[in-house]
Amino acid sequence: MAKKLSAKTLSKAFHSWYYGNLTCFTQEHMQTFGYLCSMLPIVEELYDNKEDQARSMHTYTAFFNTEPQIGAVVVGITAGLEEARANGEEVDDESINGLRAGLMGPLAGIGDSLVVGTVIPILLGIAMGLSAGGSPVGCIFYIVAWNLFAYFGMRLLFYKGYELGGKAVDFLVGEQGVALRESVTLLGGMVIGAVSATWVSVTTSFKLYNEAGEAYLVLQDKFNDVFPGMLTAIFVIACWYLMAKKNMSPIKVMLLLVVVAFVGVLVGFFNPGLSY
Amino acid sequence: MTISWFQAAILGLFACLASMPGLGGTSIGNYTLGRPLIGGLVCGLILGDVATGVLVGIAMQVVYIALVTPGGTVSADVRAVSYIGIPLAMVALKSYGLDASSAEGAALATSFGTMVGTLGTVLFYGTATMNLVWQHIGWTAVEKGDYHKLYAVDMILPWISHICFSFIPTLLMCHMGADVVEIIKTSLPMDGLAMKTLFTVGSLLPCVGIAILLKQIAQKPIDFVPYLFGFTLAASMHINLVSATVVAAMFALINYNIKMLSFKRTASAGADDDDEEDI
Repeated sequence: MAKKLSAKTLSKAFHSWYYGNLTCFTQEHMQTFGYLCSMLPIVEELYDNKEDQARSMHTYTAFFNTEPQIGAVVVGITAGLEEARANGEEVDDESINGLRAGLMGPLAGIGDSLVVGTVIPILLGIAMGLSAGGSPVGCIFYIVAWNLFAYFGMRLLFYKGYELGGKAVDFLVGEQGVALRESVTLLGGMVIGAVSATWVSVTTSFKLYNEAGEAYLVLQDKFNDVFPGMLTAIFVIACWYLMAKKNMSPIKVMLLLVVVAFVGVLVGFFNPGLSY
Repeated sequence: MTISWFQAAILGLFACLASMPGLGGTSIGNYTLGRPLIGGLVCGLILGDVATGVLVGIAMQVVYIALVTPGGTVSADVRAVSYIGIPLAMVALKSYGLDASSAEGAALATSFGTMVGTLGTVLFYGTATMNLVWQHIGWTAVEKGDYHKLYAVDMILPWISHICFSFIPTLLMCHMGADVVEIIKTSLPMDGLAMKTLFTVGSLLPCVGIAILLKQIAQKPIDFVPYLFGFTLAASMHINLVSATVVAAMFALINYNIKMLSFKRTASAGADDDDEEDI
């Protein structure tokens, strides 16, 4: 009789991953222990004797790290593979770990850019809009929207991985997946533009005065005549240039901005205009 | 405004849950409680001023809007930003008598929070290093076939790391921080060069956060068009964020349909004369 994982076991495996994927993080074994905890109920249900359990658990001691939300699909796939192995199919350690190692890089790339780099910023952008003025509405919107998305998204990926095996990944890297990703990225780009114009404000206080003491050149007004918020856009693009083209780390760019701010204040380009 | 031991302890507990790698799990911990916007709400509730908390949270959130941690490398620690930086920024705002909704208030909050967030990476490496001990226990358990210990290794023992590197630092920093803010205030006058620079840095720092995000989207100048489009919607046309998202969604939908159509065309063209063209 073919062995089949029970719904209860699959649910336990999923929730172990959902909660515990990164709780015991180290630089050496990032998500390995989360993975082991997730596979444990599966292995225990499929094998009765200790030797088989030990062999299967040993498979998952290999290093694992990817973007944990999208990575749920890999856990699902290996649950399916382990079931196939328990039913006597040709599945060895190498094929499982080859698949895991082969998927974790590309999936981390997709997950980091799509989930962390696009979906979360879009949700945060909307939430900040709703919370303008200090209302908690936006925060509540984000808590609800993000957690529903994360929980049910991960659930879907896990069970699709279990049912479809390797085919589940085709959706993520296939044509529909590419079109969807590109469109969501486009959406993200526009929202981030709106977020930076709304919440980031770089302005100059530079003015030139005539003999009567009237300002005849207010630089900030000139900038706004050309393109409102121009200075903000220039600073953002300059930071992008330093990080993307000059490979500077964010910390170095931040330190550079401290220098820019200091010099700017000295020459009168920046002045927050504060006093007690 | 001061932070009592009790309030600092609750902030410490949230720091344990919210960090990366936090004990609230990735989705609820790092990506919900760890986001400065949500941290602002939580700190506001704990310290009894929700509006200020949320506003400080928003100011900090812009800087860390794209806090991606590829391969576990961090440039800032969310527990430090959200549960040490935000409470201290709130104290500083109250102490300086600034309104959190003003540009100056946001700039002060940003400078404070970013400074704390960058220093906080120490906490991240501390936690990750201490977890090595628990993982060692885990490997011994695996060798012995004592697999049920793995749950404790993954979900219980890391609490010890977090008590050392999340709870205690947050507790102390939040409780003592109010005094430090007072010292800074008396030693550095607001119209002096140091404070002017600090405020200016605060208004510049969000540019780095936005740029980190753009790095993922834009490789060449033409890729900036969607970004500048969104920017124009808000800056020149004064469309609010929710409405701007709707406009952007329309463009995304059009793009999706065009993409799918072009895939279909290449697929049918490929079936006809069996040559594969890369576009």
